[in-house]
Amino acid sequence: MFDLFSDIFTYRDNALTRIDPRVKLLIALAALIAVVTSARPVLPLAVFVLCLGTIAALRIPAKLVALRLAAPFSTVAILVVIQTFVTGTTPLFSLTLGGWTLTAKAEGLRQGLLLGARVLGALSIVLLLGIATPAHRIFQALRGFRISKEWVEIAILMYRYIFVLMDRAGDLAAAQRLRLGYTAPRRALASFTALAGATVVHSFEQAGRTHDAMRLRGYRGTMPFGPLPALGRRDRGLLALLLTVIAAAYGFFAWGITG
Amino acid sequence: MIDDRVKTRTTVTPSKAGARNGLHGGSIPRLPRTAGIAAARNLRNLEIGSRKRALEIFRVEKCPARGGITISKGLAAAAFLCALPSPAFAMHISEGILPISWAVLWYAVALPFVAWGLRDLRRRSEETPWFKPLVGLVGAAVFLISCMPIPVPSAGTCSHPSGTGIAAILIGPGLTTVVASIALTLQALFLAHGGITTLGANIVSMGVAGAWVGWGVFTAARRLGLPWFAAAFLAGMFSDWATYATTSLELAAALHGDGSFTTMFSLILLAFVPTQLPLGILEGFLCAGVLKFIRNRRPELLRTVPAGGAA
Amino acid sequence: MRAVDVQGVSFTYDDGTEALAGIDFRVEEGEFVAVLGSNGSGKTTLIQLLVGLLKAKSGRIAIGGREIGSLTAEELYQRVGLVFQNPNDQLFAATVEEDCAFGPRNLNLPEAEVQRRVTESLAAVAALPLRERAIHHLSFGEQKRVSLAGVLAMRPAVLILDEPTAGLDPAGEAQMMQLLKKLNREERMTVILATHSVDMLPLFANRIYVLDRGRVLQQGPSEEIFCHQEMIVRAKLRLPYVSRLMYEMKRHDGVPIDGLPLTIGEARAQLLELIPKEMILPGIEEIGP
Repeated sequence: MFDLFSDIFTYRDNALTRIDPRVKLLIALAALIAVVTSARPVLPLAVFVLCLGTIAALRIPAKLVALRLAAPFSTVAILVVIQTFVTGTTPLFSLTLGGWTLTAKAEGLRQGLLLGARVLGALSIVLLLGIATPAHRIFQALRGFRISKEWVEIAILMYRYIFVLMDRAGDLAAAQRLRLGYTAPRRALASFTALAGATVVHSFEQAGRTHDAMRLRGYRGTMPFGPLPALGRRDRGLLALLLTVIAAAYGFFAWGITG
Repeated sequence: MIDDRVKTRTTVTPSKAGARNGLHGGSIPRLPRTAGIAAARNLRNLEIGSRKRALEIFRVEKCPARGGITISKGLAAAAFLCALPSPAFAMHISEGILPISWAVLWYAVALPFVAWGLRDLRRRSEETPWFKPLVGLVGAAVFLISCMPIPVPSAGTCSHPSGTGIAAILIGPGLTTVVASIALTLQALFLAHGGITTLGANIVSMGVAGAWVGWGVFTAARRLGLPWFAAAFLAGMFSDWATYATTSLELAAALHGDGSFTTMFSLILLAFVPTQLPLGILEGFLCAGVLKFIRNRRPELLRTVPAGGAA
Repeated sequence: MRAVDVQGVSFTYDDGTEALAGIDFRVEEGEFVAVLGSNGSGKTTLIQLLVGLLKAKSGRIAIGGREIGSLTAEELYQRVGLVFQNPNDQLFAATVEEDCAFGPRNLNLPEAEVQRRVTESLAAVAALPLRERAIHHLSFGEQKRVSLAGVLAMRPAVLILDEPTAGLDPAGEAQMMQLLKKLNREERMTVILATHSVDMLPLFANRIYVLDRGRVLQQGPSEEIFCHQEMIVRAKLRLPYVSRLMYEMKRHDGVPIDGLPLTIGEARAQLLELIPKEMILPGIEEIGP
């Protein structure tokens, strides 16, 4: 989990990281809506292939991508199966499981597959966004969208100190393991709660010291934010172009509108 | 001009030589599989027979073909699901699962709660200047705790505590909603865990249901005269269960299609039982244990939090 | 005018620990002063009093000629800046640039001025290339320098540092001390540093205060301070290693050494005097001072 929470790729310099985060968020949102409302699986699958292709082109390790996708995939698999067996009317096949007969239905399966395609498409969009945009740029964009300043302020502090606390918790867990803290079940539970408790205590102490340091640099209860840069012509052009492409693809693939 | 907040003396420890850069520093506290079994043993007194049930489910999963015994639909479904990897991740609704109408609806439900939490934040940080850093730091700690793997013996996988119970006790339900909304945004963007379209629904199940149930249970239990340890246990347990019940409801409502909502709901609910039932109990122990740790080591810290939490 | 003037200040924590017992502490403008003391000697308390994080129970503290209580927060924090021992306490923003801009933005400066200060302060600590980097991707030494830059961006008249070299490797330690020396000598910044590491001090500090259990044991230029071997030991400190070597040679082996050399350069000069000329091969290799 911790290894997964790596943002090293977002700090690379490439065509995607150079785009203004507001533009990226808007495009991602438009694409998400298109994928989620798509009535046919073609568009979501096309988006999936496109996004994964881009991720591959950015040379993100496949293992990381696979790890990030593994968990949601299994959830989706479960839901597709549940839908197949619960919804719909036309029976496809039945199987007996421990005395209980389950009937798969065609509509359910179709619906399930559409759902699966949507999840793949939507997930790949967010994955790409998260790989091409560092957290602080996203917070900046959210500020541009008039998200509450308090929310952004807490988010900035949280994001930064997750890494600090992670370091300390990692050391603590290692120290516990070295002193056989996880050898017996009961001891493991005690060690685990102590680890969590110590993390919370650290967070309180760190909050006091951080506030001291902020105060010494003039903090008076509200984090000052710099002005947001105006959208460049290239970014505006890109936004217009991609929104048009998404709208056209949406009309064509998602609903079969051919004009 | 300079506020004279009561200072507690903290020991100055020399910085460790050459700190590592966060990224690769933290390693996962790998608990042995057996860790959960201890908890299962502990909870025998509380949840009579739950362990037995859990083991039944486990056995069925290993040999589903061995017929003859009458088992309920739920157990069959649960057993079936256990064969798939990490169903525990189902705590968060994945990106793209919810139809747009439901996604918008859950956003609309979540928004007032987040707004209320932000108002609470503004009010309490006016009284206590260091409150915003405190919320940020407690948020980071809870985020981290919710990333620590707990093995769930009945499901044979590792799952994660939600941490909302202890957060609600420490900083109050409104701010837990705020912190959860941030944590869910970060998880959606950087871990592909949850999602942007499903953010509203996830805030409702984790940050609203989990936080308010945890806080409510803790407050009510304390009013009833229960010791804080028991109150924290119940708060952790019920906040976890409330989260998973709400998630199931959200999924069933969106996905039942032309089928029956109740069947879908109970099916999903039961599908999560093998992980979430023991996980909730573990979360209860975790919540109580964390509170106990703070009360034993640094009780004065709890007094520095401005009123609003339950502890 | 005195940069810092502390008279008869005492401080007792709420748990009853007496951290400072009536100390006097004076720093002139442009001085480089070290507060030397073991763990628990009260140096961190003194520093926190100077920046207003703690309030003295008795005594008087003046910064730049004005009573600390009469200064507004904005005035105070442009007169004194504190660099924390642990950079994590200070670096809370996501990127280096945002963190450095925090102070100037709190002063409501125009954005152009904010950017200029960020650039200047990062340049002053040789961290300009780190500008766009994420804080959690920096090495410890880089974090230390960036946290110094964040304080420099406030343009404080007096720069206070708590254990600036703790946890740094030898190269990082030397770099940090050189940076501070440059700030002191070229920018005329008053520098106060609290530390318990003695080896570097004679090269940099004009004056040293030795603190022990909340009292000033002695103060003066480093040559004076390190003459008092017993006082140094009583304060749970030690002599710089090179001085210790010379001291032992003088005491146990009767080597005739004048005073007590504090730096390698001084020690070398003295030894060269004592070693017979024929044993010295001049100019075989340069060894640094």
